[in-house]
Amino acid sequence: MSIYVDLAPRRLRLRLSPQTLRVLDAFLEAPKDWRYGYDISRNTGLKSGTLYPILMRLAERELLETSWENSEPGKPPRHLYRLTPNGLRVAREHGVRLATGRVARIVLGGVKN
Amino acid sequence: MASKLLAAAVRHSPPDSRCWGNAMLRELDFVESDWAAVLWALGSTTAILKHAVPRGVRAWLVKHAGKRGERVPKSIARSVAGLASGVVISACVLAACLFGLSRLSLVLFPEWQLNQRAWAQWLALLGMPEAIFVITAVVLWRKRRTVAAGILLGAVILIMHVIVHIATHG
Repeated sequence: MSIYVDLAPRRLRLRLSPQTLRVLDAFLEAPKDWRYGYDISRNTGLKSGTLYPILMRLAERELLETSWENSEPGKPPRHLYRLTPNGLRVAREHGVRLATGRVARIVLGGVKN
Repeated sequence: MASKLLAAAVRHSPPDSRCWGNAMLRELDFVESDWAAVLWALGSTTAILKHAVPRGVRAWLVKHAGKRGERVPKSIARSVAGLASGVVISACVLAACLFGLSRLSLVLFPEWQLNQRAWAQWLALLGMPEAIFVITAVVLWRKRRTVAAGILLGAVILIMHVIVHIATHG
């Protein structure tokens, strides 16, 4: 299974590391919802130094959209994240491939997870 | 201190990195424990530096190339070579300090068992190299400024590496 994704039409290649896949997986749990950075960090177990470069790369490649939430008056806004339709497509494609690969490994090799 | 470090990194970062920095800084308010907040701030500072430094270097190169025209590639190459040699010198100093601790101390002072003492490890890993880096950089600053800057860069990289290692491994 290739760990690179071609992002047509921009011809950009995104390396999908295991950590990036974990982030995409976390977004797939509720694809329409906006998520906070700290919540994603807790869900994925990734530290901020790993998580934010991934979010930055996804946003640069237009797989992630960002927004600011002014929830508490007098406090700075919070940054929110959600996958774009293109990001959802990539995440779902890799989610399926990952699941297929996992099942194949279990069936053929008897390896658990 | 960690949050101040992050705030300073955000303040001095370019605008496109600052947006992400403010996002990380705001999330710090929601981190439950103090220790987790320290880790969050250190990780975020690393992320900001990773994002901002390459952009800053690129902007600097573009700016200087625009000002000086055709002669720039040579001067840039010389600066980069100076910086790289400084970093290589600092790596050699670090390797020499660690070699001194792990091998030389066993030969010269076998009864002291310095390689098993925590303070000696910190001295060889951080104290001695950093002192040598600073002294060498001060000595070289007037005549070989780029090499001195490279040595200081090596010193900063070593400190950052130790901070990140402590933050992630305890």
